[in-house]
Amino acid sequence: MLTYVIRRLLYMIPTLVGVAFLTFILFTIFGEDPVRVALGNHASEQAIRDLSEMWGLNKPYWLQFYDFLIQILTFNYGESFSSGDRLSEIFARGALVSLSLTAPPFFVGIFLNITIAMLIAYYRGSIVDRLSTILFVISMSISYLVYIIVLQYVLAYQLNWFPIQGYKSGLASIEFLLLPWLIIVLVSMGPDIRIYRTVFLDQTKADYIRTARAKGVSEQRIMSVHLLKNAMIPILTNTIISIPFLIMGAFVMERYFSIPGIGDITITAINEGDFPIIKAMTMMSAVLFAFFNLLTDLLYAVVDPRIKLS
Amino acid sequence: MKTLTLFFYVIFFMFSCLFSCTQETSQEFASHENKKIFYFSRTIDPKTFDPQAQFDVSSGDFVSSIYDTLISYHYLKRPYELTPSLLESMPEKSKDGLTLTFKIRQGIHFHDNDCFLNGKGRELIADDVIYTIKRFADSRVNTLSWFLLDDLVEGLDEYREDLKKNKDTHYDKFSISGIKKISSHSLSIKLKRDNPLALYAFASSSLSIVPREAVEKYGRKFNTTPVGTGPFILKEFNKKQTAILIKNPNYFMTYPKEGSKKDAELGFLSDAGKKLPLLDEVHIDFIPEAQPAMLKFKQGEIFWIGLDRDNFTQMAYREKDGSIALKDSWSDKYSLYQEPGLSSVYLVLNLKDKTLGKNKDLRKALAYTIDFEDKINLLNNGRAQKLHSIVPQTIWGSEDEIGNYGYDFNLSKAKEYLAKAGYPEGKNLPPLTLTLQGSSSSHRDYFEYLRNAFSKIGVTLKPDYQTWSSFLKATERGDFQLASSAWQADYPDPENFFLLFYGPNKPPGQNSSSFSNKEYDSLYEQMRFMPNSPKRLEIITRMAKILQDEVPVIYDSSPVISGLTQKWVKNFKRNMMISKPFKFLDIDKNLKDKILAKSH
Repeated sequence: MLTYVIRRLLYMIPTLVGVAFLTFILFTIFGEDPVRVALGNHASEQAIRDLSEMWGLNKPYWLQFYDFLIQILTFNYGESFSSGDRLSEIFARGALVSLSLTAPPFFVGIFLNITIAMLIAYYRGSIVDRLSTILFVISMSISYLVYIIVLQYVLAYQLNWFPIQGYKSGLASIEFLLLPWLIIVLVSMGPDIRIYRTVFLDQTKADYIRTARAKGVSEQRIMSVHLLKNAMIPILTNTIISIPFLIMGAFVMERYFSIPGIGDITITAINEGDFPIIKAMTMMSAVLFAFFNLLTDLLYAVVDPRIKLS
Repeated sequence: MKTLTLFFYVIFFMFSCLFSCTQETSQEFASHENKKIFYFSRTIDPKTFDPQAQFDVSSGDFVSSIYDTLISYHYLKRPYELTPSLLESMPEKSKDGLTLTFKIRQGIHFHDNDCFLNGKGRELIADDVIYTIKRFADSRVNTLSWFLLDDLVEGLDEYREDLKKNKDTHYDKFSISGIKKISSHSLSIKLKRDNPLALYAFASSSLSIVPREAVEKYGRKFNTTPVGTGPFILKEFNKKQTAILIKNPNYFMTYPKEGSKKDAELGFLSDAGKKLPLLDEVHIDFIPEAQPAMLKFKQGEIFWIGLDRDNFTQMAYREKDGSIALKDSWSDKYSLYQEPGLSSVYLVLNLKDKTLGKNKDLRKALAYTIDFEDKINLLNNGRAQKLHSIVPQTIWGSEDEIGNYGYDFNLSKAKEYLAKAGYPEGKNLPPLTLTLQGSSSSHRDYFEYLRNAFSKIGVTLKPDYQTWSSFLKATERGDFQLASSAWQADYPDPENFFLLFYGPNKPPGQNSSSFSNKEYDSLYEQMRFMPNSPKRLEIITRMAKILQDEVPVIYDSSPVISGLTQKWVKNFKRNMMISKPFKFLDIDKNLKDKILAKSH
């Protein structure tokens, strides 16, 4: 197991260097020039030189890339070009906000979607199953943005059930997060329930379910113990791989509800050519994805003892 | 079954919480009833509150509410006029026009703050102005707005270099030969040359006066701890969430007494002479997207909002005479404002280009081809004014004073000039390339419109969509054929627009077309530092005629800025030089209560 983990960690190094290289090329060579974005059309040559020097952009590309690698190794990405704030502070602030937006509906969604999928699988072939299939396919076909715009308009503006937008620190944030939570749960229902239903249906045809029924085990126990345990591997993959998204924020949601999380910070950084934030965000995403991928593989072995890590 | 029951309990709890929270918001809103609070939203939050370090619109809006400049713009007068702010009167000029004497008003105090002795705001004196100018010249603090005083004040450029070379932050170590303190409340500034435009620099928020004590006490944190003399004090700032400004009870300025007859009719002079600010607080939410901001405005939770294209179509319409009005369903609740902007939109023709550069007739053919009136109606909802000279109509020296020096849409003339140019019906003319400063839908629509227009005379147009910085680089290298460009006035003077075609400003300067004409250059040098007069107008007219003959530019339009305010907002007159005039605004609380009660 330990050998496996070390080997996987070593595999991450070239992947992350590749991500760093691509990020650097894309934003340094093909992206906006942050100095020109900041200075606009008044820029004198002297001003361009001064600001490039201040931001370390007058160095040769290879040296800038070397600095970038050092930043990745030390987790010190420096300061934002546009605000001058330290990135560690920006991310600490933003990550907690993003988690407060994404984590609660994530857990509610898991519970809710598994429950509904199990019920639908239980009533497979019935009118409930057929109707729900149509409903969830339609809901999957609708863009995330449409949910946000329509529900914000109807529930917050017309019915006045929720604040239209905003955010406050601490528990006061709940008031502003309820509608985004509701939307996240709704959006997750279509795709997740479809996947889980298929997984459950596959399992219901398995021999061990027939054996359990023959042994007289109750349907409730079959569904919640036998079937659920065996369906956990695909569910686990689907769930764990979503965790980086929780930390990295829900980009569109944060913009529309003015929630100052990582997603909003990233979009603003892209608009302003704030390269340190973009670099740090890209690398953090890559690291989180690699880490949670590894975690998923390790958890397979825990959930299903037949799987051996070698 | 137990699990399901538990789930319903959770849902019930969430909804109970929701309704209790919503109720709390209403109570919170009501608790502010006794105060005059102006609610506003911005798409982005300020990057800094440090006047000398900022030069973006959002930061500038906050800085100008918290700090003061020596000179500012008159709120009501048009054309825009400078007026003393921290000064007793406009600066006195010496006979040779080189020395300006600034007399500061007595008794102006900085906001109370811990950086001062006993936390009590100290009186503003001449030393603060000198300190601010020195700080403005520090390249480690100010990299964005130095151009305002660049090559203007005797000894200031050398001072900037000294600071840079010695990496010193002790501003007193070096002196500036052109700046002298005369008394505790007066100082003189010697200019390198007689330049009436120099005064505009002192009206810029970047030259807002800062106290040395605050800069030294807060160091790096000075960018979030502003201490000014302005009408408001920053009470609270949560990045990307909200900012709250509260009234400075000791503010020195009063509401302007002078305005036009129309201003009086519209009630803009009803508070004349009253102590400013009239509001108790300004609450600003940072809302990056347009939809939630508009929904909040419609709920009465935001008092002033810009009108984008989609909302304009939904809420307003054009009258037969071209004026714009709100639809009936909205006109009881909101007031619509429109104000001509201070920018010009145009197409630059690169005279270094082989095809365009030596073929004046081809350039004229292109200028006659585009129906900009139609384009304004189609792409700008009619919210722009067709330009017939480079200067927008709000600035003295525009077509309103000099007449039409542009090209009006005329397809037969376009075809005639195209034939004269050697390309009858566009035959043998290679495709032309238009460089645009973005690839958004509005850039693509604009390109498609021009492509269609040019195709009517047989000219093929290709797009070259660039990012903003790549566009700047391309125009600075002269690496384009046709470019869609715009210029926003730094100060309301025609010189700021005619400089776009001055020979020495050729790329990498602002003269992107590489236009070079000795007569034009000499006329520009004559009018550059000349006060407005019939003689100056005569020169400007001649310059506009040269541009019309040589066609280095095709004039498009000057955008008209429009937006909505709630009916209860008083004294709102859009001033393009004072982008957020919070200190002049007031609220009619009775009307507000009435309208809100009706809508709820």
